[in-house]
Amino acid sequence: MIWQAFKLSLLVVSISTVIVTVLGTAAAFLLAKRNFPGKELLDALLTLPLVLPPTVTGYYLIVLLGRRGFIGAYIYQLTGWTVAFTWQAAVLAATVLAIPLMVKAARAGLESVDPQYEIASYTLGKSEMETFFRVTLPLARRGVLAGIVLSFARALGEFGATLMLAGNIPGRTQTMPLAIYEAVASGEERNAQALALILTAVSVAAVYLTNKLNRSVVTG
Amino acid sequence: MLSVRIKKRLGDGKRTAFMLDVSFTAGDGTTILFGASGSGKTTTLRLIAGILTPDDGKIALGEQVFFDASANVNTSVQKRRVGFVFQDYALFPHLTAEQNVAYGVKTGGKKERRERARELLALFGIEHTRRRLPREISGGEQQRTALARALASDPQIVLLDEPLSAVDMRTRARLIDEVDAAQRKSNIPFIYVTHNQAEAERIGRRIVVLSEGQIIEEREFDD
Repeated sequence: MIWQAFKLSLLVVSISTVIVTVLGTAAAFLLAKRNFPGKELLDALLTLPLVLPPTVTGYYLIVLLGRRGFIGAYIYQLTGWTVAFTWQAAVLAATVLAIPLMVKAARAGLESVDPQYEIASYTLGKSEMETFFRVTLPLARRGVLAGIVLSFARALGEFGATLMLAGNIPGRTQTMPLAIYEAVASGEERNAQALALILTAVSVAAVYLTNKLNRSVVTG
Repeated sequence: MLSVRIKKRLGDGKRTAFMLDVSFTAGDGTTILFGASGSGKTTTLRLIAGILTPDDGKIALGEQVFFDASANVNTSVQKRRVGFVFQDYALFPHLTAEQNVAYGVKTGGKKERRERARELLALFGIEHTRRRLPREISGGEQQRTALARALASDPQIVLLDEPLSAVDMRTRARLIDEVDAAQRKSNIPFIYVTHNQAEAERIGRRIVVLSEGQIIEEREFDD
């Protein structure tokens, strides 16, 4: 049970962290450096999973992507497949719940980059894309890295939305936090202890790392 | 020959905080844009570079039109090939002096770019700084690195925004001569913004005086 949950959590968190890093950094860039209609709305939408109870976010994901959901129904009609109660649902839940932390941290990092450096890069003939990868991102790296660490930890601990959308199927959708819940409910103290220890160690490491990253932002 | 005839209104929405309306030409050699702070010098420079867009008018360098409101032309910053030296240099803080200069070099592989950067640093007598970050070198060295970087991109004009305001008096006198030498060697127009009278008289052959967004005087110096 422990091993299965550990392996699944590792898979889910690895994939969701990659998605969160790419999408979260892109969204943070738009929010930090561009003006466009609907910017406030995007900002609010990306903050919402942070303040909503995870079960509510999970509920909305079902309404949207479940077999009879707004988008889910079309997918089911076309492919006969639904994301609900699959390991991919756990990835989706982890991604949606973790992305606000990535966006917040990356945005703070990107906003701290003086636009003068970007302008200097343009005068040297570099495109916006090249400028982003060679100037903006390296200068914002600490914020972006802090975002990755935080969202990784958040994804690893994700429980409520995962339970709603992916269920709690051992070996298929049962991630570590769900396995802890079940271990305690069925009196398997030792399993609960082992899983709790693993998650605690990862969380402590994440906090240590983000603090270190934040400190080095201040001291340069 | 650079010819500039531009209008630009600066302000927040309804209120006009500042109205820039200038027209002048600048031939080869160094042209000074002189005026008190707030007179519109830096704005003019940024409009020429394409960092800001004029509301109306035309900017052309020789045959190449940078901006023409009536023909709807607005060449991007990247394609104008201007070397820009910023007031606070804007050297990339995560790159060494050599990497900063190499960043501007447009042709050749990585090795050639590095070599070209080293040549330029040597030209300004600061080859020893090449492995150091901007924060690890002196103000004068940073200024020289910024000038080397601006020249590295093979510009057809160089724009300098109060480039010596952050260095001490002694270094300033030396750097003025170096900027002058760099201009003569590259043989392209330099537009040099300053509010310092001594600096203006020492470096320019031609001076354009701005006040409150208008040109109030244009004059040539004898060499």
